[in-house]
Amino acid sequence: MPSQEGLSIRGLAVSYGGANGLRAVEGLDLNVKNGSFHAILGPSGCGKSTLLKALAGLIPALRGAFLKPGDGSVAYVPQGNSCFPWLRARENVAYGLQLRGVGRSERLKRSDALLASLGLSGFARMYPGQLSEGMRQRVAIARAFAVDAPLLLMDEPLSALDFQTKVGVQNELIQLWSERRCTVLYVTHDIDEALALADRISVFSARPGRVIQTIDVPFPRPRDYVRLREQPGYGTVFRDLFESLESR
Amino acid sequence: MRWTRTIGLGLVLPVGLIVLWQVASYRDWINSLFYPPPWDVMQRTWEQVRDGDLLSDGRITAVRLLWGFVLGAAPGLVVGLAAGISRTVRELTYPLATALYVVPRIAMLPLVLVALGIGDEARVFMVAFSVFFIIFFSALSGVEQVDRSYIDAARAFGAGRIRLAVSVLLPGAAPAVFSGMRVAIGFALIVIVGTEFLAANDGLGARIWTSYQIFDFPTMYSGIIAVTILGVLLAWALLAIEWLMVPWRR
Repeated sequence: MPSQEGLSIRGLAVSYGGANGLRAVEGLDLNVKNGSFHAILGPSGCGKSTLLKALAGLIPALRGAFLKPGDGSVAYVPQGNSCFPWLRARENVAYGLQLRGVGRSERLKRSDALLASLGLSGFARMYPGQLSEGMRQRVAIARAFAVDAPLLLMDEPLSALDFQTKVGVQNELIQLWSERRCTVLYVTHDIDEALALADRISVFSARPGRVIQTIDVPFPRPRDYVRLREQPGYGTVFRDLFESLESR
Repeated sequence: MRWTRTIGLGLVLPVGLIVLWQVASYRDWINSLFYPPPWDVMQRTWEQVRDGDLLSDGRITAVRLLWGFVLGAAPGLVVGLAAGISRTVRELTYPLATALYVVPRIAMLPLVLVALGIGDEARVFMVAFSVFFIIFFSALSGVEQVDRSYIDAARAFGAGRIRLAVSVLLPGAAPAVFSGMRVAIGFALIVIVGTEFLAANDGLGARIWTSYQIFDFPTMYSGIIAVTILGVLLAWALLAIEWLMVPWRR
């Protein structure tokens, strides 16, 4: 159901592989403020990705309820390379717009503008197989932003990138989000990344996943991924999150 | 230049074998009745090309093969994709397809001749029957191998079953389908030549078989050369179609 209050999850239980399958999420409560960037931090297999799939409508919830922001529509960046290899970069970005009935010239215009803002205007007519990993992830991110959904779900979209590329794409991601201010739920297992990107961070327990700690990130924006570590209190917040992950 | 070296190296073995064959046949190291010198084979081939006999038989075989390929591949593709998309269709078709797939094609010939008579319908059916199962299984496995993240991304954007099939599963399965087609075209050639050996008076298979029976070995070899050229041309044509239809794999 849509909500003007952001994303609200109450008592959510989700199984992977049907009702008798592996219980991935159990008794999950979470509030994500409208227009905020919220990171979910947790170890592998703790149900982070399953939560996003449930919110994206890919897996049914067993119990509980959630209210999505705005009109209830979502955009989703799955884990790994999700760009369609058979579509050119601009057609990939325009895919969600096509499903929403936007005309071809309009959707390609919006797609080209998004790609240009990510420094990919020279690559719009290339296929994903002709792009680097970093460029492909930029295309996947642009595709998610193109539909202007009020809720953006991102599942470790940058985990396969090298450090320098990752920092560059993070900056571009934050730039796009700042311009649109949609609500973002961002799954990662990287504490530094969560601190660089998010307004709030929720730490998940081991499976079945539930929130064991939520913190407000105390560092002002704009943040510089490298210099952020020199901020007073960075080490304390990092250690606090790390100990939460360890205590899971 | 690199490409001239590549072509040159690729020609070394075939040219060497032909020269060896020519010398061996000329010097009677091998029986020149069964293994006539390549030069004689080339002369006979050229004579038959000029007469129009070889081209006529080649055309007859090619037409039978292409009809059989189209009539087998089209339903194989449709049913294979449907089986990949729908569990019900898969459960309905998979057991029978698996059972029929392992039957040696040529073992079906007597039954097909009884059912359809000794005519082109039977020969075309033999090819179509062989091609159908190869394309069916390649389309089915092509759909099954489409990366889960593509399906998830499309569904999260709101793609329903039909849109998911058209915009994700079909293009995602295309490379596997074309791989299957490359295998199927080779099978189709084997089946049509084998069928013409046993149940035809014209076509390249019949030409090869008849000339073998009357010990006209140069004509037999010219038939084999024509079949080889036909196979190569069909494989190239298929590659050209794949190049056009699957541009992201270039």
